[in-house]
This record gives sequence, C-alpha cells and structure tokens, in this order.
Amino acid sequence: MFRLFKNKKFVLLFVTIVLLVVIGLSSIQNSKINHVGDIFSTVLSPFQRFIGFSDKKINDFFAHFEDINKLRKENEDLKNTVDELVYENEKLIDFKIENEELRKALNIKDQYSNMDMIGANIIAKDMGNWFDIFTIDRGTKDGISNDYPIVTNRGLVGRVMQTDLFSAKVISIIDEDSSISARLSKTSDIVVVKGDRKLKDEGFCIMNYIPAEADISVGDKVETSGVGGIYPKGIIIGKVKEVRQRTNQLDRYAIIEPLVDFRRLEQVFVLKESNINNNETSDEDK
Amino acid sequence: MKLKIIAYTILIFLTVLIQSTVGDSIKIYGVRPNITIALIVIVALIRNGTEGAIVGFCCGLMQDAVSGMVIGFYALMGLYLGLVIGLINKRLYRENVLIAVFLTFASTIVYEYLVYFFTTFLRAPLDFVYPMKNIILIEAAYNSAISIFIFIIVIKMHVRFKEYDKNSRRY
Repeated sequence: MFRLFKNKKFVLLFVTIVLLVVIGLSSIQNSKINHVGDIFSTVLSPFQRFIGFSDKKINDFFAHFEDINKLRKENEDLKNTVDELVYENEKLIDFKIENEELRKALNIKDQYSNMDMIGANIIAKDMGNWFDIFTIDRGTKDGISNDYPIVTNRGLVGRVMQTDLFSAKVISIIDEDSSISARLSKTSDIVVVKGDRKLKDEGFCIMNYIPAEADISVGDKVETSGVGGIYPKGIIIGKVKEVRQRTNQLDRYAIIEPLVDFRRLEQVFVLKESNINNNETSDEDK
Repeated sequence: MKLKIIAYTILIFLTVLIQSTVGDSIKIYGVRPNITIALIVIVALIRNGTEGAIVGFCCGLMQDAVSGMVIGFYALMGLYLGLVIGLINKRLYRENVLIAVFLTFASTIVYEYLVYFFTTFLRAPLDFVYPMKNIILIEAAYNSAISIFIFIIVIKMHVRFKEYDKNSRRY
C-alpha cells in the first residue's frame, strides 16, 4: 500500500479523483465540505482587511490635495440641494403618515421595514475575470447567513453566497449566476433580471421574460418583486436602458442599468431579518 | 526542505493576497491580471514539475477559498498546469526570460479558455470569439508582463535553494 504512494502517477490519479469528489460535494449548497475553504479565507481575511484599509487611506491622502477646490464648489451645490430636499422631505413625511394609515387599513405587511441593516466593508474582490463575487468583512459572528440580501443606499447589490466566521462571499446581481425575480414599478409586470457575461464589464444586467403585452420604455424603474423569498419586495434594482427584440415581436429583452455603481463599490449593507414573522410573509408570496 | 516550504508558503500567500485585494485597482481595459498563473508556470519551469504541481495546487486551493464557487476546481487546474509545464521544461533553456514570458502567454490562453469552457458549457451557449478578444488576449499580455518580475524573484529563490542543497550535501 505504501509502495503505491511512492509512485507519482498513482499519487496524481489519487489527488485528481479526490478533487473531483470534493468539487462534486461542494457544489451542493450548504455542504459541510465548504468549511475547508473557511480555513483559508479566515486566515486571509485580516490581511485583506488591512490592505483594503491602507489602500483607502493612501487614496484619501492623495485625493486630499486635489479636492479642495472641487469640494468648495460641491459644498455650495450640496447646500442648495439640502434646502430643496428639506422642503421635499416635509412633504414626504405627510405622505408617509398617510401611507402608513392606508396600509394599516388595507392590512398590507411591509417586508422591508422589519429588517435590520448591518454595515459591511468590501475587503476582497474576485480573483479571475469571469465572475463577480466579492468578500465582505462580516460573517456568521455577526449573525449573517446564506441568501441574505445585500444593498447600498442606492439599490440592490446582490446576496450572500457563502459565509465564514469573519467574512462572507457575496454574489452580485451582474454575475452570470444571479437571477432575480423583479417587477416593473410602473406596470407591476413580473420579469426576471439576470447577470450577463458580456454586459458585466459595463456593469449592466439583462431582463428576460418580459410579458408580451407589457408596456415598457427606456427609463422605467425595476424593483424586486418579493417572489422567491430571498429578496424582500420593493428594493430598487435599476432602470431600463434599452429594449431589444430577438427574433420576433413578442420575444423581447431589456438591458438594465443598476443604480449601484459596481466599479466603485466600497461599503454595503446586509439586510437581516429582525423577526421571524417575515419568513411567513415570504413563504406566502411563493 | 524546511526552507523551501517556508519560501513557497510566503510566496503563495502574498500572490493570492495581492491578487484578491489590489487586483481590482490594477485593471487594464477592465481585465485583471492573474498572477497565480504566472507564478505556477515559472516555478514549474525553473524548478520542476512536482514543485510546480504542488504550488499550483496550493494556489488553486487558496483561490477556491477566496473567490471560487466550488472547492477544488482551481486547485485541479493549477495542479495540471504545473505538471504540464514541468513536462516540457527539460527540453528548454530554462534560464531565459523570453521563454518564461512566452510560456506564460500561451498557458494563460489555454488555462482561461478551459476555465471559461468548464464554467459555461452546461448553462449558456459557448462563444469563442468574445472571451478571446475582450478578456483572454489582454490578460495573457498582462500576465506575460508580470511574469518578468516573478521570474526575477523565483530565479533568486532557485539559486538559494541550490546553494542550500549543496551545503547540506557536503555536510
């Protein structure tokens, strides 16, 4: 038996078969074998965090000198915007109160409101060029587990794919493996937003299964539909950039421009359910 | 032996760390370089196939842990890349930078095509021109440029290892 292990070809065959088995096992979701990877990523994550931190500090230092004039101008603009927004905000608060009352009257449960937001930094990005997966500095220690949605203040980013103790891997919505049940805000038609390999580099996704009678035009907003149970209802994904036709009139697809800028993403929020009731609502949606 | 293990561990660790953090900010035309390929090719070229395969396996495993979908895929790819380069290195004048650059270029193309093929062929129609034009060629050129720096590092390590071996033999 030991003589066999001295033969290089046998060792190679053995390692190959073991790796193929591991690939097979780890492709099952939530399988135990993924904890092998946790060892490495747990060791790496403090270093990644450090490099990410110092990278940002260095950039900030150099940006400091360039930005003074820009900041002055921006400050003036922002002050004007703040005034406008304060006015608008007051109006919106009235609407909010009205909305809440109406919701209560109609007994609609809001999926978004009973979720906690946990801030997280992006500490590493995908190593290859084929996928768009990144690592955040929150893990099971912070109560994060698989399939939690990731957002920024602008809109949807993706979902948690795998969790380790101190870090978690996030698959973004522009990755080819991601597909989301979405809804056109204007007409409430249910569509599917998927990542696409060619559009990924520009940061766009593709929208499929558009109903034939749906009235869709450039600039329409797209949000999550709440169907499927991963993403809560009503998170903005992006807007329609272009509507294209495939072979016939009925078969259409659209290019979606996400509101989130994936190239300049640094901080994100993890949406965490704060009570169990939420699960029931999403189950009902299925 | 101990020296080798420590040196390779540091080298692999640093490569994966740089690749996963700084990789995104050194993009050219939207393409990241793949330093691990250059490292595996050059170790297999200058040292031998066995060491190349081991370094490839470890690099791949780290890559799987950091950014892979499944555990073992990149490890397998790295293992075989190291082995194949190790098989042809005896016929080449291995201490020539140009050979390292050329081999990195060629193996990036093969490696990335295989990754593309295995991750795509069961779920989407394959398209061979688009990835070649937009990702693989640029990445191959970028990797070749990086391979020069790695070549210098690995040659220095190679000389050290040789001296170390000689000293321990005389003893």
